[in-house]
Amino acid sequence: MRLQDKYRIAVLSAYALALYGIESLLPTPIPWLRLGLANIITLVALILYGFRTAMTVTLIRVILASLFTGTFLGPSFILSMGGGVTSTAAMGLTYLVSKELFGPVGLSLIGAFFHNATQLTLAYFLFIQRIEAMLVVGPIIVLIGTLTGVANGAVSGLLIKNLLKKECRKIQNDNEDVRPAQ
Amino acid sequence: MRTVIRDTTIADRLLFVVLIAASIAGIFVSREAMPRGSDVLVEVNGKTAYTFTLDKDRTFQVPGPRGETVVEIKDNKVRVKEAHCPNRLCEKQGWVERGVIVCLPNHIVISVGGKAGISTKGVDAITG
Repeated sequence: MRLQDKYRIAVLSAYALALYGIESLLPTPIPWLRLGLANIITLVALILYGFRTAMTVTLIRVILASLFTGTFLGPSFILSMGGGVTSTAAMGLTYLVSKELFGPVGLSLIGAFFHNATQLTLAYFLFIQRIEAMLVVGPIIVLIGTLTGVANGAVSGLLIKNLLKKECRKIQNDNEDVRPAQ
Repeated sequence: MRTVIRDTTIADRLLFVVLIAASIAGIFVSREAMPRGSDVLVEVNGKTAYTFTLDKDRTFQVPGPRGETVVEIKDNKVRVKEAHCPNRLCEKQGWVERGVIVCLPNHIVISVGGKAGISTKGVDAITG
């Protein structure tokens, strides 16, 4: 891994953790409901820097966030770890199969769906074991997840576009800088 | 906003519509299937005497101070078929899908609800 990649992963993880922190400060009507803002960073990492970066950022984010909030290896850690890893894997696989088929919004929807599906399955097998409760709650969670997924995907899309634009301008500037010297 | 919508691919929009439709359908399907209770709990003198599931038809007798009360479960509903009490209010209440039938003279409470078992189950999970 190159130094630049390490630096990139560190910065992205810091952004993801900051978003996670802001998100946990926001009041939500249901305690389990989260906006999943950290997924914006995962998505940006996936599209701009590839699957390995995205997965590393997700793992760092989940582990550090649980250490900060004191839930490391606890039930909610297992849930967020499972959800984070599967959603990143699902988005990564989709993006690997076709880069054209889904845009950021579609990838975000896939991520949100897998995140919720994994968490519901884990919660069922580990904690609740009442299939009726899961059947009632499942569709509601998927619905909310779809709505927040679209919002996150849209934000990711804008972010990626702006970052790419900035990158292009930087390269242009660099080239202009180089030219007079020659 | 307009650029955001323009930037989505057809697959994105399709996925969004499918997910929304599936989850809304899921909400209605589970609502339809759920609110009917799945357990019948018969309490005599405040103690649980019987628990039955609603989906199995059966008729049983519950002994009480004024003789036996006949309770019938059929088609996911419960009723008191025969009671030996002055008003026979419990009989008049007829078939019940959810809620409670109370027969005061016989000290019998019949409650229907999928949540009958929850209170005895204890803690689901402790976070933190």
